[in-house]
Amino acid sequence: MAATRAGPRAREIFTTLEYGPAPESHACALAWLDTQDRLLGHYVNGKWSKPEHRNSVPCQDPITGENLASCLQGQAQDVAAAVEAARTAFESWSKLPGAVRAQHLTRLAKVIQKHQRLLWTLESLVTGRAVREVRDGDVQLAQQLLHYHAVQAHTQEQALAGWEPMGVIGLILPSTFSFLEMMWRICPALAVGCTVVALVPPASPTPLLLAQLAGELGPFPGIINVISGPASLGPVLASQPGVQKVAFCGALEEGRALRRALAGEGAELGLALGAEALLLLSDAADVDSAVEGVVDAAWSDRSPGGLRLLVQESVWEETMRRLQARMARLRSGRGLDGAVDMGARGAAARDLAQRYVREAQSQGAQVFQAGDVPLDSPFYPPTLVSDLPPASPCAQAEVPWPVVVASPFRTAKEALALANGTPRGSSASVWSERLGQALELGYGSVGAAGARREACGLRVDPAVPIGGCKESGSSWHGGPDGLYEYLRPSGTPARLSYLSKNLNYDTFGLAVPSTLPAGPETGPTPAPPYGLFVGGRFQAPGARSSRPIQDAFGNLHGYVAEGGAKDIRGAVEAAHQATSGWAGQSPGARTALLWALAAALERRESTLASRLERQGVELKAAKAEVELSVRRLRTWGAQAEAEGQTLQVAALRGPVLRLREPLGVLAIVCPDERPLLAFVSLLAPALAHGNTVVMVPSGACPLLALEVCQDMATLFPAGLVNVVTGDRDHLTRCLALHQDVQALWYFGSAQGSQFVEWASAGNLKPVWVSRGLPRAWEQEAEGAGPELGLRAARTKALWLPMGD
Amino acid sequence: MSTHNQGTELDLSWISKIQVNHPAVLRRAGQIQARRPVKKEWQAAWLLKAVTFIDLTTLSGDDTSCNVQRLCYKAKYPIREDLLKALNMHDKGITTAAVCVYPARVCDAVKALKAVGCDIPVASVATGFPAGQTHLKTRLEEIRLAVEDGATEIDVVISRTLVLTGQWEGSDFIKTSTGKETVNATFPVAIVMLRAIRDFFWKTGNKVGFKPAGGIRSAKDSLAWLSLVKEELGDEWLKPELFRIGASTLLSDIERQIYHHVTGRYAAYHDLPMS
Repeated sequence: MAATRAGPRAREIFTTLEYGPAPESHACALAWLDTQDRLLGHYVNGKWSKPEHRNSVPCQDPITGENLASCLQGQAQDVAAAVEAARTAFESWSKLPGAVRAQHLTRLAKVIQKHQRLLWTLESLVTGRAVREVRDGDVQLAQQLLHYHAVQAHTQEQALAGWEPMGVIGLILPSTFSFLEMMWRICPALAVGCTVVALVPPASPTPLLLAQLAGELGPFPGIINVISGPASLGPVLASQPGVQKVAFCGALEEGRALRRALAGEGAELGLALGAEALLLLSDAADVDSAVEGVVDAAWSDRSPGGLRLLVQESVWEETMRRLQARMARLRSGRGLDGAVDMGARGAAARDLAQRYVREAQSQGAQVFQAGDVPLDSPFYPPTLVSDLPPASPCAQAEVPWPVVVASPFRTAKEALALANGTPRGSSASVWSERLGQALELGYGSVGAAGARREACGLRVDPAVPIGGCKESGSSWHGGPDGLYEYLRPSGTPARLSYLSKNLNYDTFGLAVPSTLPAGPETGPTPAPPYGLFVGGRFQAPGARSSRPIQDAFGNLHGYVAEGGAKDIRGAVEAAHQATSGWAGQSPGARTALLWALAAALERRESTLASRLERQGVELKAAKAEVELSVRRLRTWGAQAEAEGQTLQVAALRGPVLRLREPLGVLAIVCPDERPLLAFVSLLAPALAHGNTVVMVPSGACPLLALEVCQDMATLFPAGLVNVVTGDRDHLTRCLALHQDVQALWYFGSAQGSQFVEWASAGNLKPVWVSRGLPRAWEQEAEGAGPELGLRAARTKALWLPMGD
Repeated sequence: MSTHNQGTELDLSWISKIQVNHPAVLRRAGQIQARRPVKKEWQAAWLLKAVTFIDLTTLSGDDTSCNVQRLCYKAKYPIREDLLKALNMHDKGITTAAVCVYPARVCDAVKALKAVGCDIPVASVATGFPAGQTHLKTRLEEIRLAVEDGATEIDVVISRTLVLTGQWEGSDFIKTSTGKETVNATFPVAIVMLRAIRDFFWKTGNKVGFKPAGGIRSAKDSLAWLSLVKEELGDEWLKPELFRIGASTLLSDIERQIYHHVTGRYAAYHDLPMS
């Protein structure tokens, strides 16, 4: 017996002291695949569905290439059936008390706990990721997510009063994802009462297994439905009637295409794009620990993407030496081997990395590769790229797995400029033992082009929101922000398609219809203010022409300036110049300014009321509207002071700061109706949350907004609010296509809404469109509800790990 | 110990520049065991290697020549001969790295080792072990006497009074603790020490040894210590001249694991000779 158990190898190992394989048996994963006769279909309404006449693709072990199973490629009718099941399930699931949903989620967590070996071996087997990471990371986090969201469901009636679940959520996942990406999204959706249809790429059995585990729990079979199919089914899923929201995570260009394809479809779109992370290493860092941070972020199969590493020049040499020494100790191998740091992710990921590294080399970069990596094909070694010229295409492109691109910086200020100088805005970690510096870097250049979320060591906790900005997409998962992704204010009508097929994106709003003089202004003095309100003063429009505004009786009310593309450019520039000043103001100072404007409007009441009268509003109602507008300013002003930031204590050592940051330059196209109230109701939350704004006032009567501008000219810093009058479609076009506008709210026609959604794909600015529907501005919920506050700022979670 | 730290000018700026991120070090410490499991033949070979790093120790007030003698015999024959044969390792001359005793027992140890024909060094904890709070003169005298009796390695307890007031001492080997503290060898502390050893080597070319002591009782622990040193310093540190494990009961657990590896059964306590 001894002879068979102990081979002659021991002698050799005793000398070399090498590591050996620590294989994890995947017999149970294969046994599970056998229960499906090695043929996987969809899992819909608590049942396996394997429709006939479908193409199938093989699910392969990415390392050996062995065929594990065949997976059906779904078609449109499969998607429709799944959505139908989810709609039916939504009827009962959404009406349950939160406590019952909480129980169900807890039961699912327990089922996962009981079958975790099956889950982690299957996931590691088919994705090639290191089993250690799946076992100790993903599977544990999946359970925590269910528990956290069960608690949220339990307290939903109190904590989320005034909100209701959206409905059926479509979830589109990329081919290089871990099943956690699905968990991050389905947990909050299910918790608040939504049901889910997930479209997963074929050959990803883990989501199907999860759906099966959930389905076998009984009473609510249709709440999780999984369809496997090609990415081309994404728009089909998104356009199914009943799908209220689509959450997409994946590659940037796919997200962009989806954004365009879904314009006018009704469903809201939440994007989480790209996978690159960022690490800032200052001269006050524990360099060895920071190097471990790099390993965790890029070379431990935790993150799906690569890493940009910014290192302070004074510790550059030291960092590179340590990093290279550490890289030599990394081990790649079969993911199911418990002693490897990195598995393999299949040919596509390898080719992507290879292409990037070759291009970087040809652009002048130094490449260092090391580690114990098998020579056969699916593996790619940990790679460190340095000396990449800042202007080279690779320096701008997204860094793929498993590549780290290091560049030096001189000062904290420069670090922020470099960090924020890409179109992407995903998570970052800062390494510095000087608290002041770490916080400075963490807060980022607040209000500048892209403030970032901050995390130390790329940590995750279900209670802490994770999201991005800019081209990384503006959706959230985790924490309260993750819940709001799947909620809408109670009573909001269901989202229906409002697609206008003959809308020509190329010509919408392109030309401004010419306007002719319509006679002299008449009526009570003073004459209405004239000009575009840009940079704190009234300016003549670039086109040097005007448009007549009629009153309710068909008489000429006044002339307003005809703004155009150049005026929008100027207004956005002026707004940008004001961003850092305004965002840097204390909440108290913002309150004071909003209240000062409120007081000024009160003084101007008679003028405003008489202008409203000319628009056909009765005097009493006009006065009431002015009063309500004043109240809106006061309410949001007070909220600016009250909201503040929240400190949260996470399970890990150290608190988490949840910051609400301004979006930057927010463009607002106001509705035609309620020319004063709607204008103020939109302006106030935007300013209260620290944004600077470019506004297009009511097209029917922009004069009221211009009256308000007269007060803003004296009270507000230049550029904080800019008001451009003119042809709404044309101005909307200019704003929607502007790459440096950070968000856009559009209240107007269905066609305009559709155009805005389509055009926002350019810089992936978050947009909020009215889809041609009217809004009850005089009512609290629609005119001043929490939805406005939610959309006027973004969340940033700042981890502050402690220890001496 | 053949290598000697040639010493260097004391430069306190090295120390003041050191940054340690406590949560990150704790995290790294937690990862060591999870990331490098060692199984089967590898485990057996690694455990035998661990044996050769052990400073087999008895530091009790009631030590006598009798139990020191038993300790020395175990140091010479740490693993049952038949188990080594089964692994084809019986001709490798596997012994522990040293025995470690109180100064007054050095004589006994030297005699006992000679009697079994074993030439491993005798180490002694001189200098007012474990507090080090005696006069410099008596501490030096203690070392002299231990060396006279035949000790070739001395584990010096540094004066922590001096350390805490910023007055440092140099050495060939650094040890986590005396083994008599409430908290002894822990991974986070070891990580910081190992990184300091590497920095010193990069700066001066001198290799300083490392000895964790106290609380290392299981075979699994010893594997983790080996991989920790391998990961942070590399294979060149994995030799008795630069790495020791101070332990008394660890050896019997290692022997038990080897027994299991060879026979496929779990050993009873009486199956293996005591030390």
